[in-house]
Amino acid sequence: MKSNNKVFKYIFLSPVVIYSIILILLPLIYILFLSFCKSDSYGGVIYNFTLSNYLTIINTTYIKILLKSSLIGILTTFICICISYPFALILREKKEEVRNLMTKLVMIPFLTNSLIRTYGWIVLLRKNGVINNTLLGTNIITKPLELMYNNFGIIIGMTYTLLPFMILPVCSAVFKIDNNIIEAARDLGAKPLQIFKNIIIPETISGVFNGSLMVFMPAIGYFFISDILGGGKVMIIGNLIKNQFLTARNWPLGSAISIFLIIVTFLLVRVYQKTGGKLDDLGGM
Amino acid sequence: MKKYIMLLMILILFTGCNNKDNKQIVNVLNWSSYIPDEVIDDFEKEYNIKVNYGTYSSNEELLAKITSSKKGTYDVIFPSDYMVELMKSRGLIQKIDKYRLPNRLNLNKIFLNQPYDYNNEYSYPFLSTIVVIAVNKDNIKDNIRGYNDLLNKKYKNNIVLIEDQRIVIGMSLLANRYSMNETNEDSLTKAKEWLLELKNNIKAYDSDSPKTFFITEETDIGIMWNAEAEIAKQENPNIEIIDPIEGHAISTDNYCIVDGSKNIDNAYLFINYLLRNEVSKKIVEEYPYISPNNIIQESNIEPENIFKNGYYVKNIGEHITSYDRLWADIK
Repeated sequence: MKSNNKVFKYIFLSPVVIYSIILILLPLIYILFLSFCKSDSYGGVIYNFTLSNYLTIINTTYIKILLKSSLIGILTTFICICISYPFALILREKKEEVRNLMTKLVMIPFLTNSLIRTYGWIVLLRKNGVINNTLLGTNIITKPLELMYNNFGIIIGMTYTLLPFMILPVCSAVFKIDNNIIEAARDLGAKPLQIFKNIIIPETISGVFNGSLMVFMPAIGYFFISDILGGGKVMIIGNLIKNQFLTARNWPLGSAISIFLIIVTFLLVRVYQKTGGKLDDLGGM
Repeated sequence: MKKYIMLLMILILFTGCNNKDNKQIVNVLNWSSYIPDEVIDDFEKEYNIKVNYGTYSSNEELLAKITSSKKGTYDVIFPSDYMVELMKSRGLIQKIDKYRLPNRLNLNKIFLNQPYDYNNEYSYPFLSTIVVIAVNKDNIKDNIRGYNDLLNKKYKNNIVLIEDQRIVIGMSLLANRYSMNETNEDSLTKAKEWLLELKNNIKAYDSDSPKTFFITEETDIGIMWNAEAEIAKQENPNIEIIDPIEGHAISTDNYCIVDGSKNIDNAYLFINYLLRNEVSKKIVEEYPYISPNNIIQESNIEPENIFKNGYYVKNIGEHITSYDRLWADIK
């Protein structure tokens, strides 16, 4: 009976394992391998071991892009946190049905392709767009606002696209807090700010970190948002990698930058673990 | 009832097989939105050859498709100038027997014998396009003649550029009187300074369709391929199309036959058909590129001027890294 169970376990696990190996592990190994190769002038790959791709990354130009992307990522993450906390704390007080409905509503935009949703923003933000026309029509402004084709447009797009990734983990963490603890704190005379600082934040920090990771990493990589809403004027790491694969045709360098990004993600997770976070909580949505 | 359906399905299956065995085919891989459907339909009717039409959106994608598919999958392709050179060097395309293309005589001689394929051994030109400056005369009355006029501070946030690093850096090099394919570091530094000066005037880079910026009046000045500008002009007749005095980039797409093609006869028939003047006219009426055929086109760009002041993007080898870094620096 027991061995039977084991067989079943393997059978049910195998699709996930095969999927992960073919679609995640093998491509990653290939990228790692490519990042140590050379590129020829026609965009092909020469299979000679070299570290030059990694050395190329250490260059003021690329470091500047890294810093600029990080700034965009941090700002996006921060805005997302600022929106998610009140959202979760208000929902916490509501009935189960309302909670479920609202969290479902957060998920609904996922039913449409994010590229199309980003194009939707153009209609709102452009010079002759809905927002500018309304404001001009009601004489609130006299000159159209520059709402897109700049950093502002990128931040709007990133926040909009990535907000659900923050809301969901923050919500699930906030909902899990035991009501008795908060009531006890209140009975002992804690003010709302103290409750937030001493109970809610420590109890939900893993959810926030989880959300931050899922917002920050895409925010430095979603090149289509910086292309569409930033007018291609701002280069984030995502654009840099895309350019290596498409226009500069330097696949090894593109791979090296990708590997570099993966290492950064690992480091962030390590920092989280060192500060007392549990790895299990990261997956716990 | 079920039986009849089964029978019918089997019959359909067999007719399908029959068709496949008898009917002549030609496998074409071309840029998306480049040939009107009508032109393909007419060819199929006239020659009774089925055209299997696939598309790609960049030369690199074409290269990937050709190198990754089995030999003989494709017959006719339309690579651009530098890609013809690259494919030639890798043996991916075959020599063309010009005597099997009698309609080549319809081509204007100035489009032949280009640096990427001297004597047209491997390719014949299909369509060309050049980089132009488009200006919306409704809002801009100045007389703009070249790239250097665009540095004027008046045009703050009012220019859309094609998202192509070779074209944009090439433009800057031309504006500074260098060759469009310059790789010398000093010249590139000059080009970078020029682009940083222009930066304040740039509203956006767009790779898909800069013409939309004109149609929605987002910007009044644009640097784009002339076909895009012509389409914008169809929407707004007050758009002026200017051939920059400092020079312009050219791009020419060409007919090529893939090495290992299994339908060579049909490939020649197809190319020869597209080389007809009336067919070429039909194509450029729908997609306003520059036809190399000797036909009269509604465009203010004289064929003589295309090459007099025009340059192809050339492969610059490992210097592409310098270009790439420059591109990152100006963003």
